Amino acid sequence: MNKVHKPKKVLMQGPIDPQMVATSLVNHQSKTNIGAHALFLGQIRADQKDNGVVTGIEYSAYEAMAEEAFHRIREEAFTRYDLTCMHLYHSLGVVPVGQISLFVFVSSAHRRASLEAVDFLVERIKQDVPIFGKELIGATGDYIWKENN
Amino acid sequence: MNIQILYFGQIADRIGLSAENFDWTSGLLVSTLREQILAKYPILKDQIFKIAVNQKIMQEDMPIPFPAEIACLPPFAGG
Repeated sequence: MNKVHKPKKVLMQGPIDPQMVATSLVNHQSKTNIGAHALFLGQIRADQKDNGVVTGIEYSAYEAMAEEAFHRIREEAFTRYDLTCMHLYHSLGVVPVGQISLFVFVSSAHRRASLEAVDFLVERIKQDVPIFGKELIGATGDYIWKENN
Repeated sequence: MNIQILYFGQIADRIGLSAENFDWTSGLLVSTLREQILAKYPILKDQIFKIAVNQKIMQEDMPIPFPAEIACLPPFAGG
């Protein structure tokens, strides 16, 4: 696939509404060349820290560079895997525990391509996109800067 | 001549600033700029960060062009 895909905005303010997942599925029902969807949803965990429990993560980003990085990762996934389409969403601002901050949605004719692409995409998003996260602790205003490893 | 430096995440938090201008001279290397930033903000001594020039992460031995938008990027936390 050498088609160049139009850059799509990935970053969005606040948590990802679970309704978006259902809507995305409905939007693909007319694309009958698709035989498999693979989804990844990143949910905020209530980790126990030394000074309390995480209540949410506040995300910020170097937005222009982040969108460009998402675009590059997306193009690379289209080159590596035989995909029909791909949708990426990542939150900015506060996402409370139990809510969704990352939504990766990949579709292909057969399952292997979309399953592998989702794994590739999540790894690369964590590694290459300049997004920063403050883990908010308790109700006291404490926080810890999160780092991907 | 001035170049703009953007600070993000815990770097902006620690120095209390999200952007400022730095003096640019011809041949300024990424490593030299890093030393200047660390000299100005000793609080960043143990801070791990990458330097992006015009939205690309640069090797330390590369010269910084003019004009350029510089960004100091602490470890990423997306996902």
